[in-house]
Amino acid sequence: MKILIADDHPFTLQGTKSFVESYGYNEVDTCSNGISALNLIHMHEPEIAILDINMPGLDGLDVARKVHEGKLRTKIILLTMHKELSIYKKAIEYGIYGYILKEHAQTELEKCLEEVKIGNKYASIYLQDELIVSENSENNALSKLTLSERKIVELISQKLTSKQIANLLFLSERTVEGHRSNIIEKLGLPKERNILLVWAIQNIKK
Amino acid sequence: MHFIRSKLDTFAGIGFVGMKKYLKIGFVFFFLVIAIWSCEKKNSRFIYQKEEVENLDSTCIWLGERKNFYKDNFMPVFYNYYNSKIAGKKFEDAATALEIVSIKKAYFSIYDKEFVETINNFSTNYRSELGFYATTFVDYYLANKYDDAGDFKKAIEYYSKIALKEPYDFTTCKNIAYAYYNIAFCYYSMGDQDLALKNSYKSLDYFDKIDYPIGNGYAHTITSLIHAANQNYTLAIKDNEIAFKYYTQIKDTGNVYITLFDKIIIYEDSNNKKMYPLIDSTYTAFTLSGIKNDVLKISLNSYYAEKLLHDGKISEAKKILDYIKPTVDALNSETSTNEYITAYANYEIAKNDGPINTEVILKAIPTLIENENYQVVISFYNALKDISLRNNDYKKALFYEEETQKAIDSASSKEVKGKVAELELSHKTKEKINQIALQKKSLSSKNITIAFLVSLVTGLFLLATIFLIRQKQKKLNLDKQNTQIYTKQLLEKTEEERRRIASDLHDSVSHELLSLKNSFEQKSDATNRKIDSIINDIRSISRNLHPVMFDKLGLKSSIEQMVERAQSYNNFMVTESINYKSGLSVSDELQVYRIIQEALSNIIKYANAVAAKITINETNTHINIEIIDNGKGFDVAQTLSQTDAFGLHNIIERSKAIGGNAKIESDKNGTVITIIIKKA
Repeated sequence: MKILIADDHPFTLQGTKSFVESYGYNEVDTCSNGISALNLIHMHEPEIAILDINMPGLDGLDVARKVHEGKLRTKIILLTMHKELSIYKKAIEYGIYGYILKEHAQTELEKCLEEVKIGNKYASIYLQDELIVSENSENNALSKLTLSERKIVELISQKLTSKQIANLLFLSERTVEGHRSNIIEKLGLPKERNILLVWAIQNIKK
Repeated sequence: MHFIRSKLDTFAGIGFVGMKKYLKIGFVFFFLVIAIWSCEKKNSRFIYQKEEVENLDSTCIWLGERKNFYKDNFMPVFYNYYNSKIAGKKFEDAATALEIVSIKKAYFSIYDKEFVETINNFSTNYRSELGFYATTFVDYYLANKYDDAGDFKKAIEYYSKIALKEPYDFTTCKNIAYAYYNIAFCYYSMGDQDLALKNSYKSLDYFDKIDYPIGNGYAHTITSLIHAANQNYTLAIKDNEIAFKYYTQIKDTGNVYITLFDKIIIYEDSNNKKMYPLIDSTYTAFTLSGIKNDVLKISLNSYYAEKLLHDGKISEAKKILDYIKPTVDALNSETSTNEYITAYANYEIAKNDGPINTEVILKAIPTLIENENYQVVISFYNALKDISLRNNDYKKALFYEEETQKAIDSASSKEVKGKVAELELSHKTKEKINQIALQKKSLSSKNITIAFLVSLVTGLFLLATIFLIRQKQKKLNLDKQNTQIYTKQLLEKTEEERRRIASDLHDSVSHELLSLKNSFEQKSDATNRKIDSIINDIRSISRNLHPVMFDKLGLKSSIEQMVERAQSYNNFMVTESINYKSGLSVSDELQVYRIIQEALSNIIKYANAVAAKITINETNTHINIEIIDNGKGFDVAQTLSQTDAFGLHNIIERSKAIGGNAKIESDKNGTVITIIIKKA
């Protein structure tokens, strides 16, 4: 199975290559910029291309886009220092298969390659750090909720109506109503009248 | 007939020296004065106001005092002063003294060789030093010299030098008026009444421009005399009366009586019956006034004697004639003697007793003929004829009869001449009326032209002012634009720098740490975690410096990222609604990002709000950005005036730099920041 690795940092490139080879993949090709990477993809059609994002010429995202647009069969894994969700979302748009962070390559790259090889997608578990709020570990139920949902529960506990909550949070009343039913579902509450209000008063500390 | 010419001792004043500085007054001012005067002549009677007389030194004051003129040392004092000033090159002082003395000499008709030479010498050597206006007394003195000698043509030449200049102040105007007056007198003496009248009118024009009543008196006197010479008695009386008014106004009794005497002559010439009452009243007033003027005394008494004869008071007339006889002899003036003789001859004819002194009558006749006083000549010849008949001297009687006829012929020819003149005058009057109408028309059109010019000048001035203001405004705008360009460049450069540092940190330092992490022989979790945490720190420093891959992700994604981070890290509820494609350049987008970042960070730090909302809306022409929160609000004006309101100023300045306009409104319900950016 052919694998292409592209990175403009020689040490990282070597490191990645030795990792990949240590996992038993022997047909490994390397290059140090996006343009060569795209050419090599066109020429050899490797099954997997492990690309850095920040590269001279074309960056990893550009290459992923071109591969996606050209409907090439090469599956792209981005191996990057970027831990931004916005970049990850962009990359998803370009149909990438894997997204892992360089500092966690050691622990995640093997797993990722295995998943991608069989056609699954893999995103670094450390990307979730961006969404997880460290503090509220007190109430396990609350930690399941997003910030908006938590805010809404908080306001419900203050006996505000959906309309008042919508005004306070700059949301529409319908969005608030939608959030309410999501919260009830996430918390696994029974379908009763004012069940969320009761729950909120009981569970939210003033 | 004869008239007494008013001598001018006030000519020129002593104000010559100080004049030069007035020359400096700009043309613009002069122009304005003329313009205003032309438009509003009625409002300001005089154009030139009297100026302050300069302080004179003691010698000049001494020279100026009349009582010193006849002192033996008068001329030596003058020459001593004059020569020392010339030697010391103090030409102005020399001119002042020379002027004072020349006026005095002209007044007393003294034209000695030495002084005339001094004047000529001054004229050729030093006049150019002082300029023409400061030295017109030279021309005046020389003109008077020729005038006195009866060389009127030469005198007119010199007077004209003064008269043909343009006046610019009181003194120059006065000098010009006097020059015209003198020219009028010269022409009058030469018998050219047309030119005389023209010049006397000019003189009147110039005297009217200054507050100087005696000048007006003189000018009306000469005008009256010229009219009388033209046998235009009505106008002559009119001017005579105006002159009289001016003289009485300034209480110049000498000239008042001269004017009254002139009037008597005009009445006599025009056979006006008002003559006798006038003689009576003038004579009485003159006797009571106690004025000592021998010429006037003889003239008025002679007339009074004739008046008495006319009234049949022969013995009283004799008394008057006897009373003035010694004065006549003492004065020894041809004119005055002739007056006396005529009066005496009249008495001889009128008296009833004793032998008539025909000698006296014959002596009077030539002067009368010379003065064209034919009526008196006729009466005298008739008287002589009667005497001859009485004495049976037929031969003489026939001669007198022939002379009478001649006189009658002359009288009638004079009358015819008068009639012709009268007709001519009435014709001329008609022409004049037409001409005046025409002039009025052209004057009003001139006024319109002047008004037009004035408004044009004003208009141009306004235009120029507007132009200048525009230029200034333009420059200000340019300055403002430059400042904005500068701010923008500064901001862009800062961003560039931050981006570079961020990418250096991200690319180099992170990767160094990464290879460090991989280089350890023995892997330790603690070390790994430490390195990971350093990498995360660098990540957050670098993303704080510059939004990650901004050009790639674009404004919308970057803001969404910002919002998400605010939610997760700051636990702060922010919603966004972004309708934006690509209306701005990347560098401008980055500024928008920074503005929103600043606003959001302010809200999180200070507003104490439950939530905030970011809205971007792109229309065809504008990008509208709104950041709202429901915090406690703040006093915008007060905060902006504080020196540490960096955040708010940051928002405003960045908005300006990308051609937008930021508006910040805040109250206790929250804050709204609105930024409107016009698309390029």
